[in-house]
Amino acid sequence: MQNIRIVIYSPSYIIRKGLASIIKKIQGIKNVISIDLHDELVEIINQSDFDFYILDSEINQQKDLIKILAKKINPEQLIFIINDVNYKSLPSNFKNTIHINDSQVEILENLNNLIGNTAKVQSKSDLPEEISKREADILKYIALGFSNKEIADKLFISAHTVVTHRKNITRKLGIKTAPGLTIYAILNNIIDINDTEKI
Amino acid sequence: MNYHTLSILNRFGIILGFGDKTIEEVCVDKNVDVNFFLEILNTFVDKEYFPKKHLQTFSVMLITDYLQKTHQYYHQVKVPEIESLINDMVDTCYTQKENLILLKKFFNNYKKELLIHTEREENVVYPYTLSIEKAFNNPIFDSSIIELMNTYSIDIFKTEHDDIEEKLYDLKNIIIKYLPQPKDVRLCNKLIHELFILEQDINDHSIIEDKVLVPKIREMEKIIKDKFSK
Repeated sequence: MQNIRIVIYSPSYIIRKGLASIIKKIQGIKNVISIDLHDELVEIINQSDFDFYILDSEINQQKDLIKILAKKINPEQLIFIINDVNYKSLPSNFKNTIHINDSQVEILENLNNLIGNTAKVQSKSDLPEEISKREADILKYIALGFSNKEIADKLFISAHTVVTHRKNITRKLGIKTAPGLTIYAILNNIIDINDTEKI
Repeated sequence: MNYHTLSILNRFGIILGFGDKTIEEVCVDKNVDVNFFLEILNTFVDKEYFPKKHLQTFSVMLITDYLQKTHQYYHQVKVPEIESLINDMVDTCYTQKENLILLKKFFNNYKKELLIHTEREENVVYPYTLSIEKAFNNPIFDSSIIELMNTYSIDIFKTEHDDIEEKLYDLKNIIIKYLPQPKDVRLCNKLIHELFILEQDINDHSIIEDKVLVPKIREMEKIIKDKFSK
């Protein structure tokens, strides 16, 4: 699995910084964000577009956080940092933990297992990173300056499908904007330079 | 000595040749707020260091002034540098001139976009934040601020604030991954290097807007509204 995004929440600078430096050694991690403010955590949980949330067990005292977590986030995405005292107070459906005294190897193995588990579900992202024939068709229309809606009409698919294809094209090529995709299309002879004014 | 900070010195109007003066002495000379200068410098040097709450304690005046200077740095230094590198590449290349002209056009459009983006901030957003700060500090309540707040708010800015560095990201990736390697590798590497620097700088700049200025103004707006309803 690739492009995993992780949030670390702890009031302790040492814990945040330490965990982040260990986590960055895991392959496929795209983004690790460390936060120490309650409000910011709430904001991030509400957006819920991270893959894993590593949380200090002290949040157990903050009932509002536990409530939002239960509502928004799948318990399998939660990992709690525990110590010998506070581990007992964790709700029983929170199973993933890192003990504060775990060694680096233990932490890495633990996290790799968790990440590996979800990889089986989302094996989609293991495909080779070349664009498919269909995506190339769509890329051509994007490069020519057509909107999602226009492309959908031309190819008899829904606008939603076009958006999904677009996301995949962007992920595979590493190009986000329409003018950027146009240049790619010209460089790769998908369209002719004279066909477009939109760069 | 971290030489990447040189551009920050310029933004604060500090010029080299200050001998063995301390940072404080130099700042006093140039009328620069020492604490603010140091915090900005520290966040620039250490990517893990970003004391949001502390940065929010500085005045809107200081923050927007710095942001504005950063805009100037883009338009007066960084963008022209990149432009001239691209021009040099076009001039010295005979095998794929048309591809490079394409990149040039792409960057030219980006330049216009960046200008629109920064002008909007300087003409609309920053003046608004300054008005909020003024009203906030004014012991006498002036209801005209409420009218202003009905026409604009910092949350409107937050939603309209787009990712201006996306196109730089694209340009960089196109050159690295897809452009046939130009003959002059030295020029090409220099260009990529500059694109990385500008992208990172714009990124740092946006973080100050989104994580410092926006929450600070939001808080002030709230307090002003509360005052008004009483």
